[in-house]
Amino acid sequence: MLLGPSGGGKTTLLRHLKRELTPVGTCSGRIRYRGRPLAELTPERAAGEIGMVFQNPDAQIVMDTVWHELAFGLENLGYPPQVMRSRLAEIAALFGLEPLLYQPVHQLSGGQKQLLNLASVLLLQPKVLLLDEPTSQLDPVAAREFIQTVYRLSEEMSMTVIISEHRLEEVLPLADRVWLLQDGALSVQGTPREFARDAYAAGAVSGVRAYLPAAARLFFALSPPQIAAGHPEIPLTVREGKRWLLGTAGPDRRFGSTDEPAMHEGPVQALHGRSTGGQPTGGDMLLQCREVTFRYERDTPDVLRKLSLSLHQGEWLAVMGGNGAGKSTLLHILGGLEQPQRGKLTYAKGVKAGYLAQNPLLYFSHDTAAEELQHMAQVAGLGPEEAARGIAGLAEAFQLGGVLEQHPLDLSGGQQQKLALAMVLLLRPAVLLLDEPTKGLDPGAKERFAQLLQGLLQQGVSMITVTHDVEFAARYATRCALMFDGSITAEGTPAEFFGGNYFYTTAVNRMARELLPEALSLEDVIEAWPSTATRC
Amino acid sequence: MSGFGAMHPAVALLYYAGLLLFALLQLHPLFLLTEIFGIVLLTVLQGQVRLLRGVLWFLPVALSVALLNPLFSHRGTHILFYVWDRQITLEAVLYGLVTMTMLLTVFVLFISYNYNITADKFMHLFAGAAPKTALLTWMAIRFVPLFQRRLREITRIQRVRGIDTGQGGLRKRMKDGMILLKVLVSWSLEEALQTADSMKARGYGVHKRSSYGGYRMDRLDKLVLLWLAACACIPLAGWLAGHGVPEIYPRLKPMEWGWEEGWMYAGLCLFVLTPPALEGKEKWLWRSSRRKTYPSATLKPGRTRCMNSPSR
Repeated sequence: MLLGPSGGGKTTLLRHLKRELTPVGTCSGRIRYRGRPLAELTPERAAGEIGMVFQNPDAQIVMDTVWHELAFGLENLGYPPQVMRSRLAEIAALFGLEPLLYQPVHQLSGGQKQLLNLASVLLLQPKVLLLDEPTSQLDPVAAREFIQTVYRLSEEMSMTVIISEHRLEEVLPLADRVWLLQDGALSVQGTPREFARDAYAAGAVSGVRAYLPAAARLFFALSPPQIAAGHPEIPLTVREGKRWLLGTAGPDRRFGSTDEPAMHEGPVQALHGRSTGGQPTGGDMLLQCREVTFRYERDTPDVLRKLSLSLHQGEWLAVMGGNGAGKSTLLHILGGLEQPQRGKLTYAKGVKAGYLAQNPLLYFSHDTAAEELQHMAQVAGLGPEEAARGIAGLAEAFQLGGVLEQHPLDLSGGQQQKLALAMVLLLRPAVLLLDEPTKGLDPGAKERFAQLLQGLLQQGVSMITVTHDVEFAARYATRCALMFDGSITAEGTPAEFFGGNYFYTTAVNRMARELLPEALSLEDVIEAWPSTATRC
Repeated sequence: MSGFGAMHPAVALLYYAGLLLFALLQLHPLFLLTEIFGIVLLTVLQGQVRLLRGVLWFLPVALSVALLNPLFSHRGTHILFYVWDRQITLEAVLYGLVTMTMLLTVFVLFISYNYNITADKFMHLFAGAAPKTALLTWMAIRFVPLFQRRLREITRIQRVRGIDTGQGGLRKRMKDGMILLKVLVSWSLEEALQTADSMKARGYGVHKRSSYGGYRMDRLDKLVLLWLAACACIPLAGWLAGHGVPEIYPRLKPMEWGWEEGWMYAGLCLFVLTPPALEGKEKWLWRSSRRKTYPSATLKPGRTRCMNSPSR
């Protein structure tokens, strides 16, 4: 497993291992494959034995239907139809793709597309599988399925897998070896447990600790340093973390036992204040939608069904839910991009909403980032001075000063997202609608982006975020809502919301819920933990 | 699809190519009407009556041919009457009508062709011969709906920036349209780079491409192919010998109907009606099974039909 910040060289390394995609530039050193230099492989073997799956599920697909896409690689290598048929049959059965075989590719979900990409690489029977952040565009359920499939392949076919990933919780415990790449160099490596130990030892300043799974972080935060260093079994998964936590807490340290109702009145209540019963926490009502019903076409089913929702001043509302629950559609409606067929959407007087889509490329139409911002300022009706001030302020806050003269498409993904956000903010929206703002960001970038959003919140911009990222929502949102079957089914402060959920909750909560049912983050647990064990 | 639609594309291609040939070569009204009847029957049996509605749009064109031909062509010897001092001849009127029927035949033929031979099937037939061209075409086919979807998304977002082709003067609309296209192109090029990577990673260009070919020719396909070819030979041979083509210009001759024409017509009928027969047999097969009573009350006969029919 390859870890590290974006721009740390993970993709470059993986591309060096895949001969066809070796980046242009000066290269020194040697890469050997089975004892022979990679460059000496025949083209057929190089293409077949080293397979690679990329980040973007859509862009990798070449053909229009599923079976055709599967056959593509085999056709390239000139296999006879008989061989293709038997291999296709095998893989389609393994991946359960039979019902999808004749479907057009665009009807698949992101997770299905990525599994299709994996399957079409596996048809060439690779010995080494390179995966470049394959789940960064997927929702947690699809991502878990993908990772489990890859794990099964490596277990059952003893296939070598090199994966670069930001989803530590799922992947790290499965890996045999973990490498951390920073600034193009290998900074920490070893088995997952060695990695956890060394990463912790590297100290808080290096930022390496962000790459520890929640269980390990909890372990290090709660145990004294001398014990932590010598402990042979650093917990990595929720199960190990929970076992360790319950073992350490012991009978004497338990905050009320599980069969007492007093558990719910534990120290956490003091932490989060009294329950607000799902009532909005902010000030004036900014927007309200009442029983909104929406469908895209006459004959399609309703996407939103009598959905009611409100947002108050100073709130950060996180809307969660499965794929296809209608979360993005909800934002479209709130942003005025679509009109609901029934129901009412009202904004408070003078309140505008700004919508930031998942794909920042949709926003760019000029040659430099500065021009984009200026054009947007014009649309917003700002005077030249005001515009210049606004743009300078945003560029400063978003650290875009250095790249203003670059073409928007030359920026990195994170910068593109910030630029698009800056453009939306020039319209001076009082409500910001963000669609999956943390998708594909590494832990460090996510943290920085969250700080940015919190800054905006303090400046009085209220937010609705649609996200799959449970940890993110638990940490930053002031209110959470769950969308299911076209309407909001549960709503509440993060503590209530996640405390009541069984699966849809943070890793820390899943570990600590028997002791501290409403503790969502590491900080919550540390705060509630008896001071003898506390150590930050 | 079942029946004729599920057969190997080569069979369907032979059928439509033969029909087109007959429609263009043998301008015999009876032959043409038989062809129309055959295709319409096939379309109806396939349950695609709505496709035939397209004929209504085409009818004015075909009718105008029938009307205009006598006005512009004055060949022939049987003068019916005069319009603006121009003679209207019986030959021109008849020729116009036959041309109209021929055009209608070709039109109906293409409606049915489009339904039965999708672009996908057509490509399969030729992927083996020209794999690279086939690949390019396939990628292009995928891009059309892909670009449409992307453009819709871009339009939605850019409207917020005041870029909207639905508002403002013509100049602004055109300019905005160009901006939208520019966004589409830059986005698509960006993705195309990744597509190219993915193609290279899977060995594109390493080897001469082979073709998977999703359709296998089974025994029935071969039989029908042979049968159609044999049937087609009869009218074709007749035509080569100069039979079955009514002589209209320069002078209308009474239509002959000898045994040669009889044979030709029989051959044509067999050719034209084979696919409807195959389709009809399939229909009949399911119809008769629908009458069977099912012991289980929940298993409604009407539902089993669609559950059992192999769907593509």
